[in-house]
Amino acid sequence: MTQPSAPILKVENLAVAYKVRGGEIEAVQNVSFDIHRGDSHGIVGESGCGKSTVAWAIVNFLGANGYVKRGSIKFLGQDLVGKSPEELRRLRGDQIAMVFQDPMQALNPSMRLGDQMKEVLTVHRGISESEAEDRCVDMLQRVYMPDAANVMRRYPHQISGGQQQRVVIAMALLNNPALLIMDEPTTALDVTVEAAVLDLIAELRREFDTAIMYITHNLGVVARVCSQVGVMYAGEMVERASVERIFAQPQHPYTQGLIRCIPTLGEDKASSALYPIPGRVPPPNARPAGCIYAPRCDYAQQRCRDERPALRLLADGVQVRCHFTEEIDPGQWTPPEEVEEMVETVNGQADAATPASTNNGKPILELHDLRKYYPVTGGSLRDVLGLGEKRFVKAVEGATFSVPKGSTLGIVGESGCGKSTLIKTIIGLEDSTSGQARFMSFDITEGLSERNMALIKELQMVFQNPDSTMNPSYTVGQQIGRPMVRFGTVPRSQVRDEVIKLLQSMRLGANYYDRLPRQLSGGEKQRVGIARALASRPDLILCDEPVSALDVSVQAAILNLLLDVQREQNTTMLFIAHDLSVVRFFSDNVAVMYLGQIMEIGPADAIYRPPYHPYTEALLSAVPIPDPTVKQKQIRLEGSVPSAVDPPSGCRFHTRCPRRKLLPDDGAICTRETPPWQEAGDGHRIFCHLPLETLASFDPVVESLATH
Amino acid sequence: MLVKDCMTRHPVVVSPDLSAAEAERIMVENHIRHLPVVEDGKRLIGLITRERLRLKAEDIGSYDVWEITRNLARLKVRSVMIPLKQVWTVTPNRSIERTASLMTEHKIGCLPVVEEGNVVVGIVTQVDLLESFQIMLGLPAKGVRVTVRMSDQPGEFAKLMRVMAEQKWGVMGIGSFPDRRHEGFYFAVLKLVGADEAAVATVLNDIPGQEVVDIRTVV
Repeated sequence: MTQPSAPILKVENLAVAYKVRGGEIEAVQNVSFDIHRGDSHGIVGESGCGKSTVAWAIVNFLGANGYVKRGSIKFLGQDLVGKSPEELRRLRGDQIAMVFQDPMQALNPSMRLGDQMKEVLTVHRGISESEAEDRCVDMLQRVYMPDAANVMRRYPHQISGGQQQRVVIAMALLNNPALLIMDEPTTALDVTVEAAVLDLIAELRREFDTAIMYITHNLGVVARVCSQVGVMYAGEMVERASVERIFAQPQHPYTQGLIRCIPTLGEDKASSALYPIPGRVPPPNARPAGCIYAPRCDYAQQRCRDERPALRLLADGVQVRCHFTEEIDPGQWTPPEEVEEMVETVNGQADAATPASTNNGKPILELHDLRKYYPVTGGSLRDVLGLGEKRFVKAVEGATFSVPKGSTLGIVGESGCGKSTLIKTIIGLEDSTSGQARFMSFDITEGLSERNMALIKELQMVFQNPDSTMNPSYTVGQQIGRPMVRFGTVPRSQVRDEVIKLLQSMRLGANYYDRLPRQLSGGEKQRVGIARALASRPDLILCDEPVSALDVSVQAAILNLLLDVQREQNTTMLFIAHDLSVVRFFSDNVAVMYLGQIMEIGPADAIYRPPYHPYTEALLSAVPIPDPTVKQKQIRLEGSVPSAVDPPSGCRFHTRCPRRKLLPDDGAICTRETPPWQEAGDGHRIFCHLPLETLASFDPVVESLATH
Repeated sequence: MLVKDCMTRHPVVVSPDLSAAEAERIMVENHIRHLPVVEDGKRLIGLITRERLRLKAEDIGSYDVWEITRNLARLKVRSVMIPLKQVWTVTPNRSIERTASLMTEHKIGCLPVVEEGNVVVGIVTQVDLLESFQIMLGLPAKGVRVTVRMSDQPGEFAKLMRVMAEQKWGVMGIGSFPDRRHEGFYFAVLKLVGADEAAVATVLNDIPGQEVVDIRTVV
């Protein structure tokens, strides 16, 4: 209650160095912040900027070659730096807990969850077995774990990812820690699960008065859970302010750049543009002498290059590391010329060509009632002998849509909803079970081996993880050149020139031709991946989460690049992403999938406004919006996605549908009958029993979207 | 209001093997006067106060300067703390008035808050309690503070409440204390929001058998 005079954690001028061959590298420099009781302090920044290193320094996980070089870390008034390991163990003991990105790494797969949780209490506190059991069940109920007593007896693999993360959070809170360090705790989770976990964190913070250090790269998440935010860049804290200030008046040019990089829900490619930050984060051993951000800063002057700015405290409590912050007015910022040019052409084109390309354009891809079932073999004797009933995972059920030439169809949905299976079926990595699929005039229901070269050439794919789709021992030039040679699109003698031309259009220089994948950054690899997909000059590109593994500034550049490609070559795209803001920004049409079934499909702006399917509504309310002032309706789906082996009868969404009660008999019809496709005009179709008028009467989930 | 609503959670604690000088430094740096001493698992074993660390003349009278320094440097928290059996503690579910009476009765400035097994979950000090009483009387909000005298008969307070409901005034804080001069009479102190001082005075004075003895607008 009293504002305590001492913060729980106070980090001052922290520098962490790693000893490497030929010297040492300062991964983190001059980081200072403090966290009070019940505060949640966000640390944001791109990958490799030292966010996690700070967290590791606090809990002494730096490894054999890492050490705190300068500065102090004060936890509850006592300095953690320079203490013996035994003293540290006691001091940190059960007062600091950590939650990591992947819950499976924190859980022992060979122990029952209950035993793992009880261990925390019996070992640290010497509490008796039976009392520990009671406390664990109690804590599981606090984190809203359904059927807590039963979960105690299960193994980690028997519960879903979101539930695993709840177990980890419950375990972290069992000892009532003073400080909870969360390192990207929701990054691996679906938006709907993420939303529930974020609600939980906000609630627990109030109840337990725990100080939370929240590390993330997602500005939307920060806006939802944090009260203070520190922005890190290349190992330094460049700005620190309250969450409202960071979003309303970012002071540091880097923060301003970050905010310009992300599409907000409701923006589309015709009306707005993303402005990537040029260049890349300097590696720790090659940081510039002056301001660390100067090489990428639009406002850099001579003083920035010569003199490193200190973290200054501005009049209103904002800390910023910039010489000229008072003189910089983000409103006066003008985008670099190439982006500006692109936006104009996109806009011009959009005005003139949108109706033609999206609605009247000749469909290049047509699916009708396409299904993909995977047979499941049971373990029982009857199944082995082939006597049991044949069972299937219904991964894609009745997919019907067409994609006009030159347009983009975005596909969204939770993980396991069949997005990737759909794309794999189209490209031929899987053959379809039934239904029709035509690409131009070819039949594409068969698998890849049945297709001829000409067809394969026209369909190309960009994958989520460029690392695992590139041969590490081939140079960039060889990787891109291979499809050209294979499909014979370019005479062998001209392949090199053609590859270089392609590299240049990806904004990579000719000097990249001889590089190996390991010499490229994540964004550059993805550019090569796109170049490779374009090499055979395909008509349809399938993008499976092409930007979700990338940092926001790189993500913006890749999205711009894809838009550019589409504009120049009139390529058609299928675009899978779990980030609804990105899909909205990038797509002309959007399909929302749930459990193998398309629930709603239509023009992008129609999907994001009522009338919408109750599932779309829930998805929209779960998206973290990078603006703390936006009011979002709170709709949380209960339970997890049912198994596709035995999908619910009638409407597949009825088990979790929050709007079912609007129908007579608590929506009995939803459990019995498959819903009809309802036309909402303009190609917008909704797969729901609720009449259109009811769907249209819902309040918009996000207020700002209503004005669009 | 219970202890758990006003205590400071996650207090600064020290281990018994810390040197007394270090404990003193922690208190000074964090502007606190009490340090619970805990062993593994945050189990309370004693308490340190600034008083406890003060040098007493009779203890050092026989030492020379060098001996004092040497002894002080060797002094551990364990040997200067108030041992557990002399420390008063409360549980998070105790009411704050009982807690306050415990403090006044024994003239103590702070109580560690413990759960079963003497696990420290918080600390409550005189300052925390004073602050909660301020909040209970509605100090943080702007409004009209009015003191009404009434008899202790059942139904008297209900009369007042009825009038308030009619006027749609909100009550931010409330408290009462006996009138020392008139046996059988009580003062009720109310903090009202959304009301006008003059209107409150007239309306409340009209209630038969009750009298406004003090009224002021507090910001």
